[in-house]
Amino acid sequence: MLLNEFLFLGAILFCIGVYGVIVRKNAVLVLMSIELILNSVNINLLAFSLRNGSADGQTFALYVIAVAAAEVGIGLALVLLVYRNSRSISLDDLSEMKG
Amino acid sequence: MSEFLRSYLVVVWFGLAAFLVGSLLLGISALLRPNNPTSEKLLSYESGVDPVGDGWSQSQIRYYVFALLFVIFDVEAVFIFPWATQLERYGGFGLVEMAVFVAVLVLGLVYAWRKGVLRWV
Amino acid sequence: MFAALFSVFVTAADWVSPSIDYHALAPEIILAGGVVVVLLLDLFTSENNKWMLGPVTSFTLLGSFIPILTLALSDSGTRSLFDGRYVVDNFSLTMKGLFVLAGYLVVLLSSDYLREGDFYEGEYWILMLSSLLGMVMMASSRDLVSIFVSLEFLSIPAYMMAAWRKRDLRSNEAGVKYFLLGVFASALMLYGMSLLYGISNSTLLTDIGKYVSGEMSAVRAVAILFVVVGFAFKISAVPFHTWAPDTYEGAPTPVTAFLSVASKAAGFVALLTVVYVGFPNASEVWQPVFWIFAALTMTVGNVMALRQTNIVRMLAYSSISQGGFILMPLAIAGEGDSAGAALRAVVTYLLVYAATNLGVFAVVIAVSHKTRSGAISSYGGLFSYAPGLAIVMTIFMASLAGIPPLGGWIGKFGSFQALVSAGTTWGYALAVIGAVNTVIAFGYYGNVMREMWMRPVPDGDTTHVVVPSAITVALGLTTFATLLMGILPGLVLHFGDLANLAGAFGG
Repeated sequence: MLLNEFLFLGAILFCIGVYGVIVRKNAVLVLMSIELILNSVNINLLAFSLRNGSADGQTFALYVIAVAAAEVGIGLALVLLVYRNSRSISLDDLSEMKG
Repeated sequence: MSEFLRSYLVVVWFGLAAFLVGSLLLGISALLRPNNPTSEKLLSYESGVDPVGDGWSQSQIRYYVFALLFVIFDVEAVFIFPWATQLERYGGFGLVEMAVFVAVLVLGLVYAWRKGVLRWV
Repeated sequence: MFAALFSVFVTAADWVSPSIDYHALAPEIILAGGVVVVLLLDLFTSENNKWMLGPVTSFTLLGSFIPILTLALSDSGTRSLFDGRYVVDNFSLTMKGLFVLAGYLVVLLSSDYLREGDFYEGEYWILMLSSLLGMVMMASSRDLVSIFVSLEFLSIPAYMMAAWRKRDLRSNEAGVKYFLLGVFASALMLYGMSLLYGISNSTLLTDIGKYVSGEMSAVRAVAILFVVVGFAFKISAVPFHTWAPDTYEGAPTPVTAFLSVASKAAGFVALLTVVYVGFPNASEVWQPVFWIFAALTMTVGNVMALRQTNIVRMLAYSSISQGGFILMPLAIAGEGDSAGAALRAVVTYLLVYAATNLGVFAVVIAVSHKTRSGAISSYGGLFSYAPGLAIVMTIFMASLAGIPPLGGWIGKFGSFQALVSAGTTWGYALAVIGAVNTVIAFGYYGNVMREMWMRPVPDGDTTHVVVPSAITVALGLTTFATLLMGILPGLVLHFGDLANLAGAFGG
């Protein structure tokens, strides 16, 4: 089993995702970066599940996929809502409230 | 190299062979064929009609609701597959559980229908 | 590879249908049924009959409180479902009662607010019931998968509720900030959970508890840290609090009440279950983390609250600093036999905080109905034209500040007692920081009191404040609870005592 290689892939994806969330100013790109993190989690779960021979990880991954879809649904709706009111999806423009 | 990786070596050989054969054939035809470029030949093909406007046209925002509905229902179906592969084993209990699950999903569809999201104006 | 995949499924061949204890699941089933009923009612009734949705929601909540009571009164003890993945013990019943009653009070606060603001009403109730269902599930979850699903179940409706004023950019901003940071936090938490699964080959918290012990390898520490950080976002612990002030200010006020009480309590419940059942033997990893969180959260929350001029934003920072006080006992929960005391202190504080904070928001909604302003200065001279509101607001502010004999005092007392009785240097140090912060907190709570009692009315408008009957009921209930818990501390301490977490250490 290539557990280390899978975990390494997962860790790289995770780091790219976290980098994207921190650096990107576009709301949709931040959402995509979060999806990357969730996919790195899925890779980890499946790798561990195959190594350990228990189906729990695969079940967990199914739930992660379903919840990620729900999150994207809400996220895009929120981004659209902001775009309708402010004509911008840049997170820097979201600064109505300060302090 | 592990046994697992070695079994993928075949794929690499296949890929190399396909690349070589492809470039060989294209190279021969490039040497033999006449070369006569005109601007019409660079137009994108739209069933023989002259293309109108830019290829990067914006799509209607109303598609987005359909896309979201599709994604959510599509992904929820992921829970039905594990049950479907083990249909007999889970018996009546599994059937009832899945009926409840599908009923809740249908409720979401009913919501979209009553809110008029499914109607194309 | 595929043979390994296949063998996973074959080993689970002897499958028997689980026997389901429907009594233990009754609160969840009633709430889920309520969601379906409200949804269908919303879809198939005319606009004139939409008023019935609020009452149906509150009846659903009261209905789900009945099985919680019968379960608490039945002497069958802890009920364990699905191989211990879903446990109904006294701890979870106490917290379920808290969630359902807090939800009921938020319904009371919301009904008039929704009527006036031209909001989507049906969806609001559906989302709130769904979020509460997630919280109720969270109280019983003892498995990584069900904890994750119930966390998302309670968060996703809350993201939408924060952005409920569709045309208001501030509300949109509140929703987007809450959403992005919340989803990011749950993604971090999931990464930690995937590592935990890899370590212990199980998603069951009690199994994880067996593996996460002894010598701490780096991967174990990282896994624990990520999971704790994920929940720290939910309870808006500093430095993961940045979403809270903006979201609380921008969201509709009843939603803010809901987020600052129910959602926060749910985060604490998840944190308690994960730490007590999942990582009881890893206290050297999480104790320092909680120590830093508690100290920072109290201090930053208080200092920022001092300079606010908007009442809701001030309450947001106040709620952050209260979260720090609730976190305090967890910083010593691993020392000797102080685990039980810490758990009791947290549960007691959560109960008191819920009652008091919901009351504060009831007053804010009632007053802003007249003044149409969120500024603290708009509370000037409240006593001269609305003495009732001024008196209950004073009670709540004093309770949040921790003045005896009000509920907040007994919460703070429990936290400090747990810290001091642990007898460690770190415990004493945190208690000192907490004491200093209690004094700082008098600054901004006292400021509101001074405005109400001593300052003149800002615009000279002393017409009577019309308090809707639903908010009057909510105010009565929360005032009664705050006073009762302060005067008869035995009552709430009794709930704290009841709150033994099944399968936890020391509890």
